[in-house]
Amino acid sequence: MIERLVLLAEARYTRLILVGLLFLSLQTTIFNEMRPFGVSLQVMLLLAGSCGLAKGSQTGAVAGFIVGLLYDMVLTTPMGLCAAVFAVVGYLAGFVHTFVHESTWWSRMLASLGVSVIGMFMLPIAFTITGAEGVLTTEVFLVAFVVAVFNAALSLPAEWLCNWAIQDEALAR
Amino acid sequence: MAGYSFTRRRAILLLSLTSVLLITLDLRGSSAVNMTRSAFGAIFRPIESATRVVTRPIQNTWNGITNYNDVLAENRRLRDLVAYDEGATVAAIASVREAQELLALNGLPTLAGISSCTAQVVGQSPSNFTQTVELNRGSECGIKVGMPVLNAAGMIGKVTDVYSKRSVVMLITDPGYSLSVKVVNTPPTTTTTTVPGQVAASTTSTTTTTTTTTTIPRTTTTTIKGFTPGGTAAPTTTQPLVPGETTPTGTVGPNQPGKNTNSPITVPAGADLPLRETGALEGRGLTKNPIIRFIENQPRFGSVAVGSPVISSGGATSLAPPDIVIGTVSRVVKRTGTLGPLLEVKLSANFDNLNFVRVLLYQPITERPAAP
Repeated sequence: MIERLVLLAEARYTRLILVGLLFLSLQTTIFNEMRPFGVSLQVMLLLAGSCGLAKGSQTGAVAGFIVGLLYDMVLTTPMGLCAAVFAVVGYLAGFVHTFVHESTWWSRMLASLGVSVIGMFMLPIAFTITGAEGVLTTEVFLVAFVVAVFNAALSLPAEWLCNWAIQDEALAR
Repeated sequence: MAGYSFTRRRAILLLSLTSVLLITLDLRGSSAVNMTRSAFGAIFRPIESATRVVTRPIQNTWNGITNYNDVLAENRRLRDLVAYDEGATVAAIASVREAQELLALNGLPTLAGISSCTAQVVGQSPSNFTQTVELNRGSECGIKVGMPVLNAAGMIGKVTDVYSKRSVVMLITDPGYSLSVKVVNTPPTTTTTTVPGQVAASTTSTTTTTTTTTTIPRTTTTTIKGFTPGGTAAPTTTQPLVPGETTPTGTVGPNQPGKNTNSPITVPAGADLPLRETGALEGRGLTKNPIIRFIENQPRFGSVAVGSPVISSGGATSLAPPDIVIGTVSRVVKRTGTLGPLLEVKLSANFDNLNFVRVLLYQPITERPAAP
């Protein structure tokens, strides 16, 4: 029984959920209060994108879905909406990076910046599709810009964390 | 490669289907989704509280760096405001009490008769696209979905989700918020300055109208700042008897507007009272003031003046009781045709510093469970 629990705890997606909970608590506390230019920074989006950058498109999509689902739990928007958007972000982050021949630190930051912009545009579009009104405004440009710059700046440590969280169980031991 | 692609395609298809399923379930109001959110909240709250404690010094540093000058300026402004409001509050309390007594005498609903639950704001939405806050009280306090939430300044929103020990409030500024409101507009008035003992006369090119005003000398002493004695009294008119009309003797009936009776009470004439017009208030996000639509272009209502108070209109189907302060008209956008003007509203409540709020345990008649 204990062995099973240990195995479960060592599973890579369990580690991702724990890291996701940590990021979610940061999102709802410190990053909710610190709003540069009035914009709430999105560390959950950063986590989803970084998973894609670290482990490729398929793992990125699944990890993004899990991270988005955690975020959906604390939002009032329809459950599964952020999960879908973050899954696309995770997938795109991994997919875009396959085109880079020799990845460098700045190419990773650039990829993180790009997928963050896409994510921040997709979110209000998805909200609008599900019936929300007044979210697709010009303010989205400012939000996307600020969030993307922040995510690009923190993409390297976040990617390192994601590498650790969703590495294979054998390597983790 | 084919197997890899198949696996990836299958994974993406599975994720897409799961998302669509979850969204559909939630939009249809599935109780399973609500229960999952509630259970997650119970698990997540301790983690969030611990993180809040750990990150508080960083937050304080950030606030110190970014808001120091604003806080100083605000502090100075608030000191002046407190000094001014101390006197006005005493007068306002007296006026409110009188108004409530009058409403109660006439069998009309008042806010004083509605139970409430005081709660504290413990968090706000981390999203950039929804304006909600979370309260630390829930269904254990009697809170239900739809109940209005206000703070000391006025209305702040309505309850949208309720759990056992917490609830979520959609703010007035949220684009999804809508509420039936009244705009209290003062009709255009003609001011006549009368020197005691003299008769004021105004002459136009065609007709001559003479207005006689009897001024009762009155000496009033007050030490309350900002309070003008009699300033809150509604204007009254007393019309002379029509020839042939007799003055009732003994017990008189109810006072009629503008009619002279033996009663010392004179009911103000309707034409002099502030006019009210209803409309729908809609939120437009934190950075923009809410607007009011569907204000009709009635000549009697006149043009809406900037600064006119906006209050909730109430009604059998409205989620909020009447006469909750919402704000004042800050801008009037006139539209052509039969469309009424579009009004921008400056909200009374300050949404940057929400702390203690009051949830009115009010349900409209249509929502109340039928008595057995």
